[in-house]
Amino acid sequence: MIDLETRLGPATLRVWGLIANFAGNAALLYGAIGYVVDGSRLSWLLVGGAVTLVSVLSLSSPSR
Amino acid sequence: MTEPSEVVQLEELRQQPPLRRFAGYFRLGGPGFMDAALTLGAGTLTAAMLSGATFGYKTVWLLWVSMGLGMFMMAAMARFTTRGLGVIALQDRYHGWVIGSLMTALIGTAGVAIVFNWGQVSLGTYLMELLADRLGYAFPQRWNWILYVALTSWLTLSYGRKGRRGIRFIETFMKVSIGFMLLAFGACLMVTGIDWSAALHGSVVPWLPPGGEGLDLFVASSAAAIGVMDWFLFNYAGLARGWGKAHEPLARFDMSIGLFLPFILINFIVIAVFAETLLPLGIASDAAPNELAERLEPLLGTSWAPVLFYLGFLAVPISTTVGMSIAGAMAIHAAFGWERDTSSWRWRISALLPQIGFLAAWYERPVWLVIAIGAFLSLTVNIVAWSMYLLLNDKRALGDDRCRSRFWNFGLLLQITLLNSIAIIYVFNRLGWWFE
Repeated sequence: MIDLETRLGPATLRVWGLIANFAGNAALLYGAIGYVVDGSRLSWLLVGGAVTLVSVLSLSSPSR
Repeated sequence: MTEPSEVVQLEELRQQPPLRRFAGYFRLGGPGFMDAALTLGAGTLTAAMLSGATFGYKTVWLLWVSMGLGMFMMAAMARFTTRGLGVIALQDRYHGWVIGSLMTALIGTAGVAIVFNWGQVSLGTYLMELLADRLGYAFPQRWNWILYVALTSWLTLSYGRKGRRGIRFIETFMKVSIGFMLLAFGACLMVTGIDWSAALHGSVVPWLPPGGEGLDLFVASSAAAIGVMDWFLFNYAGLARGWGKAHEPLARFDMSIGLFLPFILINFIVIAVFAETLLPLGIASDAAPNELAERLEPLLGTSWAPVLFYLGFLAVPISTTVGMSIAGAMAIHAAFGWERDTSSWRWRISALLPQIGFLAAWYERPVWLVIAIGAFLSLTVNIVAWSMYLLLNDKRALGDDRCRSRFWNFGLLLQITLLNSIAIIYVFNRLGWWFE
């Protein structure tokens, strides 16, 4: 298991995870707009969804 | 400060049968009820009225989903509170004053209290005018604001007056206000009736309008049921009560029975009343709350039901003004590190700042200010939530009392994801990327 309190540069992995989650959310919503309007941007939707899911599940781990 | 006897009472209550324990916790609870009164303001009730009038019971499920998600953050607040920790001091220490004092306290709480009180005063004074009219008197907004401001100022300044007694007085006022809303709206529901089958269906089967409208509604409703001010008030109102570790079961009860339940029940009843009356007639989705209330009046049939509805509705802005004013004063004190002394002029001035909203009797809120605060909130509420999540998992802040539950963190992260979406949609809107 990765220790989320490990520092990587200026912040801990937990903080980087929150930033990754935010980026995943943005990609997911960007993809969702295209998909709902004209069926485009499916790849954005899938990648954003995957990043969101992985980051939420990883960040759910409590600190040791 | 907590009387030693309260800890003893809590210990005794733990040995009592469930019903007696419930009654005891209900009597001792308070900050959760204050949060409920704060949350159930003009904006929330308008959203419920519009939802009932436009979609009927179909969006009832959003109520418990949104408030259910909000409970994860409230549980974090309960943890900080019962460890004697104020979140602003923690944020300032570990995440910097920009996130703590500025984003959470000064703008996210005090600024919001000042700007959003305009809507409460506008609705409250309008209802007073309408009620007086029904009773055969003329009491227009340009005069009745004096009564509204005097009453809400007196109630606000009663908080902490004579120490603990003043705090309990306001907590009791909030409980009575919520009870009155339930009674008044519930009586109207008795008149209109309820389609139980549709209500049950709408409660358990998720439904959203198609396309962008559905996505907008889901994100806005699920992320915005409770926000920064609610988190802050629960924390600092609990600290004012002197809550400690022994109060954790009471804090959980308070956020469930004091906040979750009234929020769900009152919103549900309002949705039901409007679904049974205005939905069949069709209504513009941008109607103002006063317009909705006036359209409802002839449909309630009896002469007493509209008066009761207006009285219950009047309890909404009054209790919200009082709650927001207290939260604003606490936030200003927390941001500047001032000790809370409710007999000081510093406290009184801070607490009465939102009363600038009396201008609502004549003028609309300054649009630029509403836009500025709205933008700031949309773009920062997720940062504040990140900060709370990080503090809950920080060994330096909470030691062995930090979060140990994967489920708790998971719930917080779902809420954070929704709050992120609010910020992202705001930016997409500005860039013209969001739905027209």
